[in-house]
Amino acid sequence: EIGLIPCPEARYNRSPIVLVENKLGVESWCVKFLLPYVHNKLLLYRQRKQWLNKDELIDITCTLLLLNPDFTTAWNVRKELILSGTLNPLKDLHLGKLALTKFPKSPETWIHRRWVLQQLIQENSLPSLVTKGNLGAAPVERIHRLVQEEMNVCSEAAGRYPSNYNAWSHRIWVLQHLGKLTVKVLLDELSSTKYWVSMHVSDHSGFHYRQFLLKSLIGRTVTDKSVLVQNQMVNEQNPSLQKEEESAGAEAACAEEQSMDLPRHLEEELELCTELIDTYPGHETLWCHSDETLNNSHHSPATSHMAQAMDVDGLNESSSKQGYTQETKRLKRAPMQDSLGPEMEYRFIDKVLSTCRDADQARFATAYRKWLVTFLGQ
Amino acid sequence: RSAYCAASVASLTNILTPALFAGTAEWIARCQNWEGGIGGVPGMEAHGGYTFCGMAALVILKREHLLNLRSLLHWVTGRQMGFEGGFQGRCNKLVDGCYSFWQAGLLPLLHRALHARGDAALSMARWMFDQSALQEYILLCCQCPAGGLLDKPGKSRDFYHTCYCLSGLAIAQHFGSGDLHHEVILGVPENRLHATHPVYNITPEKVVRAVMHFLQQPVPSPEPVA
Repeated sequence: EIGLIPCPEARYNRSPIVLVENKLGVESWCVKFLLPYVHNKLLLYRQRKQWLNKDELIDITCTLLLLNPDFTTAWNVRKELILSGTLNPLKDLHLGKLALTKFPKSPETWIHRRWVLQQLIQENSLPSLVTKGNLGAAPVERIHRLVQEEMNVCSEAAGRYPSNYNAWSHRIWVLQHLGKLTVKVLLDELSSTKYWVSMHVSDHSGFHYRQFLLKSLIGRTVTDKSVLVQNQMVNEQNPSLQKEEESAGAEAACAEEQSMDLPRHLEEELELCTELIDTYPGHETLWCHSDETLNNSHHSPATSHMAQAMDVDGLNESSSKQGYTQETKRLKRAPMQDSLGPEMEYRFIDKVLSTCRDADQARFATAYRKWLVTFLGQ
Repeated sequence: RSAYCAASVASLTNILTPALFAGTAEWIARCQNWEGGIGGVPGMEAHGGYTFCGMAALVILKREHLLNLRSLLHWVTGRQMGFEGGFQGRCNKLVDGCYSFWQAGLLPLLHRALHARGDAALSMARWMFDQSALQEYILLCCQCPAGGLLDKPGKSRDFYHTCYCLSGLAIAQHFGSGDLHHEVILGVPENRLHATHPVYNITPEKVVRAVMHFLQQPVPSPEPVA
């Protein structure tokens, strides 16, 4: 990480750069000399008044960006260097990561990062420079590693500034454009951010990210189901394509398996909200998140599908059987839209209202109760 | 944000064509999320700045009804802080003087849109936020003793906050226009500002003058010069 060392005067005749373990510090007295110097050098280069060779450009832009990462021109010079094959794009991911330790919101850093990532996933257009290091692996593995690293960078930046809109937006962008929003990625992210949001209960951006994950899962469930139906239709029409359909069938079954868990994930999310609301009274974000999760449970195509499945399979019949399989157990737990869900919520709200001493908590609980009544009509 | 800048400039300079904004309105509508507010791009968290830009751009494009106005109204009114009187930019964040315009400025736009839909419940004297409370926050908490305005007590002044605190104050002081104009001035009469245009945030007279000026100019051709 990088940082500024408060040091108004140069006391010793030595370099103002301090490197201790993995921490790079710059004594503050030198900034007023250094920044104008490098800034001016770059501008002169841009104005074609003073030539700089590639190494000098890399050094100067690096220095500039560590002092002020919102200097767009410096990032753009590096874009040119990347496109000409002189600069390894991975270096810019590293530089950006460093800049974000001191400037976790820096819009230009996040914007440049997305440009670099877009370059990296267009494999064919890249010089062989990029295949060195950890990018020698197969494309899928490579992308996966990039995604994981981005998740880490976002997480760190989110921890450095409350409700870091740019960091969480970037995280969503990475999943949408690099992670392809697969069920596995979504579920991994849901589990890996659970602890973080519990430690940052006012961080609306963090909880909004979970809504994004849940809604994407709901969307995937719908897509997977339609893929399932399509595969079945194809099966019926082309019995000769047996072998191909087997693997497609397995894939679809896998998707179905994961999508079956959706009601459980929504239920767990609601449990998480309840627990946090109880533990940390008076945080509007938690109530907001709770509202919306209940909304999702009520309207989710997955859970409404569950209801249909129950009707079609005749749950009454299966419950009279001796065997209580994992399937029937899941189906029984699924329905959020029957009377159990709202009743539990009402009991929870009334308990909060009767026991809480925090004025904000009471206000949120009252509003939530009103919403339950109007929305669920019970 | 960019869409608003483009729509704002294009409409004032008379170069707005359907081709220029093909698909823009629909894209902005996709930026409205489950919270009711609008984010920077589809999927993002609802944010006061982006919500104003999105709504104002749609008003310029005359497509504001692509939005769920009811959930937008619910979201923005929830952003006025009960204790401070000012507005927050997003749920569970702190109050900030600049949102006096980005957030409060949405209410005139919503009022107009709902009125166009024939909503009989709309007031003929007030916007749907606490105008006095906002004025109190700006006047009591957002003024720098040396001049200029700011985010919140403890912050330093800057031109951005000066602009948007004043813009928000103007919104809070003036309801409607023409025959239906109604003022609420907190404190001494000298506190009164000129009304600001809720879409462009310049005075209404300037909007008229700009539009008139560009109407008299030849419209440039979109083809590149050979």
